[in-house]
Amino acid sequence: MELVVSLAIGVMAGSGVWLLLRPRTFQVIIGLSLLSYAVNLFIFSTGGLRTGAAAILEKGQEGSLAQFTDPLPQALVLTAIVIGFATTALLLVVLLAARGLTGTDHVDGRERDR
Amino acid sequence: MTAWTDHLVAAPILVPMFAGALMILAGDRWRGAVVALGLASTVTLVGLAVVLLGMADAPEVRVYRKGDWPAAFGIVLVHDRLSALMLALVAVLGLAAFVASLARWDRAGTHFHPLFQFQLMGLNGAFLTGDLFNLFVFFEVMLAASYGLALHGSGTARVRAGLHYLIVNLVASLLFLIGVSVVYGISGTLSMADLAARMRDVAEADRALLETGLAVMGIAFLIKAAVWPLGFWLPGTYAAAAAPAAAILSILSKVGVYAVLRVWLLLFGDEGGASAGFGGTVLLAAGLLTIAFGSIAVLAAQSLPRMAGASVLVSSGTLLAAVGTGQAAVTGGALLYLASSVLALGALFLLIELVERGREVGADVLAVTREAFGSGEEEDDLREPEAVGVAIPAMVAVLGLSFIACTLLLAGLPPLSGFLAKFAIMAPLLGPAGALVPTASWVLIAALVLSGLATVVAMVRTGIDIFWASPLAVPRVSLLEIAPVGLLLALCAGLTVAAGPVMDYTLAAASALHAPSPYVEGVLGPIASRPELRP
Amino acid sequence: MPETVLLLALVALPFAGALAVTLLPTHARNAAAGLAGGIALVCLMLVWAAYPTVSAGGVLRAEFAWIPALGLNFSLRMDGFAWLFAGLVTGIGALVVLYARYYMAAEDPVPRFFAFLLAFMGAMTGVVISGNLIQLAFFWELTSLFSFLLIGYWQHTAAARDGARMALTITATGGLALFAGVLVLGHIVGSYELDAVLAAGDRIREHALYPVALALILLGALTKSAQFPFHFWLPHAMAAPTPVSAYLHSATLVKAGVFLLARLWPVLSGTDAWFLIVGSAGLVTLLVGAYVAIFQNDLKGLLAYSTISHLGLITLLLGLNSELALVAAVFHILNHAAFKCSLFMAAGIIDHETGTRDIRRLSGLNRSMPFTARLALVAAAAMAGVPLLNGFLSKEMFFAEALSADTPFGLMNVLPFAAMLFSAFSVAYSLRFIHGAFSGPVPADLPREPHEPAGWMRLPVEILVLICIGVGVLPAATIGPFLDIAVRSILGDDVPYYSLAVWHGFNLPLLMSIIALAGGVLLYLLLQRRLRSGIEGEPLLRRIEGQRIFERTMVFLSWRLARRAEGLAGTRRLQPQLRLIVLLAVLAAGAAVWLRGFGPGNLPASPVDPVLALVWLVGGTCAIGAAWTAKFHRLAALILLGGAGLAVVITFVWFSAPDLALTQLTVEVVTTVLLLLGLRWLPKRVQVPGDRGPEVLTRTRRLRDLGLAVAAGGGLAALSYAVMTRVPPELLAQHFLQRGYTEGGGTNVVNVILVDFRGFDTLGEIFVVAAVALTAYALLRRFRPAPDSVEVPEQQAHADGATAGAAVTGRGEAREGGDWLLVPFTLTRLVFPAMLIVAVFLLLRGHDLPGGGFSAGMVVAIAIILQYIIGGTDWTEDRLRLRPHLWIGTGLLVASGTALAALAFGRPFLTTYFAYAELPVIGKVPTASTLVFDIGIFALVVGATLLMLVALAHQSVRGHRATPRRPAAPAASAPAPLVAAGDG
Repeated sequence: MELVVSLAIGVMAGSGVWLLLRPRTFQVIIGLSLLSYAVNLFIFSTGGLRTGAAAILEKGQEGSLAQFTDPLPQALVLTAIVIGFATTALLLVVLLAARGLTGTDHVDGRERDR
Repeated sequence: MTAWTDHLVAAPILVPMFAGALMILAGDRWRGAVVALGLASTVTLVGLAVVLLGMADAPEVRVYRKGDWPAAFGIVLVHDRLSALMLALVAVLGLAAFVASLARWDRAGTHFHPLFQFQLMGLNGAFLTGDLFNLFVFFEVMLAASYGLALHGSGTARVRAGLHYLIVNLVASLLFLIGVSVVYGISGTLSMADLAARMRDVAEADRALLETGLAVMGIAFLIKAAVWPLGFWLPGTYAAAAAPAAAILSILSKVGVYAVLRVWLLLFGDEGGASAGFGGTVLLAAGLLTIAFGSIAVLAAQSLPRMAGASVLVSSGTLLAAVGTGQAAVTGGALLYLASSVLALGALFLLIELVERGREVGADVLAVTREAFGSGEEEDDLREPEAVGVAIPAMVAVLGLSFIACTLLLAGLPPLSGFLAKFAIMAPLLGPAGALVPTASWVLIAALVLSGLATVVAMVRTGIDIFWASPLAVPRVSLLEIAPVGLLLALCAGLTVAAGPVMDYTLAAASALHAPSPYVEGVLGPIASRPELRP
Repeated sequence: MPETVLLLALVALPFAGALAVTLLPTHARNAAAGLAGGIALVCLMLVWAAYPTVSAGGVLRAEFAWIPALGLNFSLRMDGFAWLFAGLVTGIGALVVLYARYYMAAEDPVPRFFAFLLAFMGAMTGVVISGNLIQLAFFWELTSLFSFLLIGYWQHTAAARDGARMALTITATGGLALFAGVLVLGHIVGSYELDAVLAAGDRIREHALYPVALALILLGALTKSAQFPFHFWLPHAMAAPTPVSAYLHSATLVKAGVFLLARLWPVLSGTDAWFLIVGSAGLVTLLVGAYVAIFQNDLKGLLAYSTISHLGLITLLLGLNSELALVAAVFHILNHAAFKCSLFMAAGIIDHETGTRDIRRLSGLNRSMPFTARLALVAAAAMAGVPLLNGFLSKEMFFAEALSADTPFGLMNVLPFAAMLFSAFSVAYSLRFIHGAFSGPVPADLPREPHEPAGWMRLPVEILVLICIGVGVLPAATIGPFLDIAVRSILGDDVPYYSLAVWHGFNLPLLMSIIALAGGVLLYLLLQRRLRSGIEGEPLLRRIEGQRIFERTMVFLSWRLARRAEGLAGTRRLQPQLRLIVLLAVLAAGAAVWLRGFGPGNLPASPVDPVLALVWLVGGTCAIGAAWTAKFHRLAALILLGGAGLAVVITFVWFSAPDLALTQLTVEVVTTVLLLLGLRWLPKRVQVPGDRGPEVLTRTRRLRDLGLAVAAGGGLAALSYAVMTRVPPELLAQHFLQRGYTEGGGTNVVNVILVDFRGFDTLGEIFVVAAVALTAYALLRRFRPAPDSVEVPEQQAHADGATAGAAVTGRGEAREGGDWLLVPFTLTRLVFPAMLIVAVFLLLRGHDLPGGGFSAGMVVAIAIILQYIIGGTDWTEDRLRLRPHLWIGTGLLVASGTALAALAFGRPFLTTYFAYAELPVIGKVPTASTLVFDIGIFALVVGATLLMLVALAHQSVRGHRATPRRPAAPAASAPAPLVAAGDG
């Protein structure tokens, strides 16, 4: 299981990085989204993978790691997701503005002349 | 139960938080209310900073437990000398930039003021929090606001630079997240103090992974600190930003430095157990390279804003290199340098825009080419000198003097604090009489001297051209714009006069950073730092 | 304590005066001069008041703690030598001020001038009476700074600017070297205090770092006193007003260098290194300066080079490692000050009265200004070393030293000849000064009609010339005691015997003087033709133009080279930066592992489940597919991205993290919509087979990036695997699980963590969202579509006009158009309330079951987006009046307000209501405060998401109205009425 998940993380991160290094803003934003998927999954995975463990306490119950998944990474991922969402949205707006002002969608705001 | 004074520690975050939220409600329609709020908030912050500085100058650290949960698993704010110092710098810079913005910049686009407040909130939070993930969150608050400020006023140049700034920092944030989660996955904690306490008894099999996580996190910090070769985004972004925004941004790069100071010294300091000194040489080398590159960039800068941006690199490099030497006394000097350079850069960024107002575009390039062909060489010295000088208008004189002051501060020349700061770094580097001086120290000393020289050469070249060669048309400058510059420079003068007490403070702060067990105990309670006694 | 006050006043007064003067009106020259002169005189008095103590061999001290932690005190110390120099600085300062009052034109903005002059005087005084080395370097740099301002006083002339820049660049560089040098010295001695240093001579000379310290300090001293090869800045400093030149050349700036040499003479001298560097520098300077001086056509130029040469003489004397030579040096410092200052003033008078300083144009001035002529004659004679004048005495001493110098190196046997040569040269140029300017026919074409200057202007010259004569005739009676205390304070008790008599009988030195005098006269006569020919510059050396070389080097180093280096070591393009970041991150992580390998994890890997594997087979393919298609097929890439995201969601569900799945899902929907809205504004990019576009990547670059991507992905995969297969001994999480319900009051621990345990993170997070939304909004108000994306996309153009246009432009009447997209439209209208209910449900149960404010907010946002998509912008807004700013502001306030409420109960920020209420909680909505907190989040999320989405959506409404390449009119740019709350 761990193998599958880590491979998944790796594949997404790899394709994310590849896109990150491309010259077009759209490629970059897709790349960053992929990367943040990978990172979210990564954070989640650091808590260890538990299948079929309960996610919700019984009322009055004092849970322990024995029967529950580690909730903290989940909380961190939630925060990360939200922040990632916000910044992605901003990036989109900025790249649209850049596209509008510079007339190109190259990340440097000007076509490479070569 | 907590005494009301304890809440003071949280106040630097809460005040701008509420101010900003209210400003959004007020919207741009009630500018008066918004400005009043902003002024109240920034002034309050200055007051708080003073109080907190006073409270901080004590051996024990103050801990504020968010949500009243024990530090073991809740989020705590930790208030020690270092954070108090940073808070003070933010407050002063914030006040100056805020006042300067009122003259015109805050109306260059919508929502300047709330974003500005969030910026302050993010900075203060980053300097206060004692929790790694919370540090990440406040980095994000700070960055989100800084995106807004850097892009404030829009325009091609800003958007172009802002795009780079944004993307680079998004990547940095992802690295930060990877680092944090690895740290949690291996050590099982997020609290810095707890982590420091656990550093020693991390299983040898896992230590490498923990260090990996921290190394990745370190890269994120170094990107923020704009270390070579990770900091190429900085000069462009700062140069393009509106003056008040640039002024407040100039402390952002120092947040990266702060993070290194805090986390690196806490975890890999002398008490770091098996990991002690991890990556120290990297810091030193990176710092030196950054100084070198910064100085080159200062010399090569074709415009004042870029020159200022490059000086930010120099100061970052200086700080990191100084920290990298791993000597408490040097760190103490570095803290003085930190204060001095932050104030100076803030003043410079505010000043530049006023100066640029009075001159035509591209004058810099022109001047340089003129110099390249050797101005004045052709005219022989026998020409009777025009025996009558040209009077300099008062406002230009003020700008000129402020510019000289900034030059002196950044180059580390007397009489202002820049000189003392460099002295405070160099003197401990050489150490006591008879002690053998390591090569690294010599290199750093040389780097400091040479970078100062580069700054002098570059800024004198530019300054002469701006103020003497092509006498600028007297710019229309309101008191609101020049007063903040005066304030910041006056503070630098204050640092010079009161250097004694200030150094005592920074040295105390530095030694606390280098011997963090009181910090750890202060946060977790006495047993925490003694692993064998932990439950 | 009087001496404290005295010393402090001596340093502080000039600066205070400078401040006062700057406040004077631009042309108040009497006031300015009066104030300046007064202060100079007061300082002179103060110096004189110190005489009794000093003459008794005492030392005045004043010390104030500055940075005790670093052993740095602000300490002032005045012994004989310092006293002598202080007298020189203040005394000549007073004369210069008086002179300047009449020299400077009435229209000149003199307050600035006098302010700088005073400040410079203060700095110079600071240098001479500094009691510790750091502080000496401190004032040293100040002299550089203020001399820079003085030289550049006539900033409108290029000569002044270049002279000033050169002077500052060189002297400041020297100053930095000096600073480093004294640091090393302090390190050797263990203290920066002058007393301590002077007492540690042997220790210093024997220390391993002595050469370093020496080199650095000498670099400082020699640049300051314009010694070869740093001499060239001095002549260009003449661009300053003549009073300044007189001051800089005689008593101050250049003398600071020799002052330092003499000050540290007891501890640094006596070694071969010292002798080699200082001696040879002095020797070369002495000859070169004198030689070049002869051929100057500018009076001031001639004097400038003679200064260089005389300073060379002093330096050489100091370099000889002999006490007597030191005495001679100090003596010559005084004499040179006297005659050089008077000569500069005379030159200034000539310039002032005739309007030129060109020797070739001047002549016969002794008719029009006889008195000045006499004065100049005497001063020049003193410079030439004519008997019965002060110059003669020190020159004789020099000769004596030159003869007796026993030097380890044979080359110094040339000393006597060098001395005579120098003396002959100085006779020649002195002659030229006098003869050229004063004798000969009455000049024809002078800019002004020459006549005697105002008496007051001449007074300083008279005083100085009197001193020259007085010292020359009765040395022992006049200068004797002062010289004595000065050298005594340097050498201590082992002051050698020296006599200040005019007549020592017929001896070798006298003979040498006579020969030199004769030779000088002869030389001058021989050179007549060439000098009259008016050729610029001197033979042999004229090719080597110090300034030109300097400028070229500076431009090369500080500009061209720097530019090139920056280009090489830096970049302004994004891709290289990102490559570096990724590379370094991978390396950093790799290095840490590589440095100390890590063992196997303590958890066994669980067996692979084929279903999830299959899911990820698809997910992974989607990811790679997205990477592949993102360039040319954006929509496809977007869909594939969604696929990958879906896989992530499934994984979350799989590993029992329903909250994550929920949030991820909602976020993904919104993000996709955002991106879709954005796509419309990006340029068309169609893949032409075989087309090599402008930025098609070379194979190697592609491979490099691919390698980087693989490395990063592989690294992260490995890292995650390693982390997954180990669990630390104790996790924070166990606290949360234990207290989640009993203390946190919620069964959904994740949510409890978010709103309670780590509520502070969440609070920060919503401020991030708010800030981002505001930024996006502010940017979009200034949005300008690129020209090629303004017209309606072809899909719409092809479709049936009026109604199709409505899809994007969303004009209200389109809805009356009827059948268009009727079914989905009705559906969404039905769905809308349902979704709202779902949202409320999620919100309320959040604390106990998956859900919470964020996902609830997202759901509402999605609901509204649906309305937009189907209904069209305007139609939706006609029926649904949103005020995103209101939502955002309220949300933030509610959330943070709830958190703040705790303070009212004396609890820390963010303490939840439940957390301290003792009453047992059963059923209902248990934790009041956290729920309110969650509601705040909800409101914020709704507001922020809508603000961004709607602002974006409005672009397409605007797209057609906005004229390309011009910022849209405010009316159009403000998406009214939607965000009315935010518009100014």
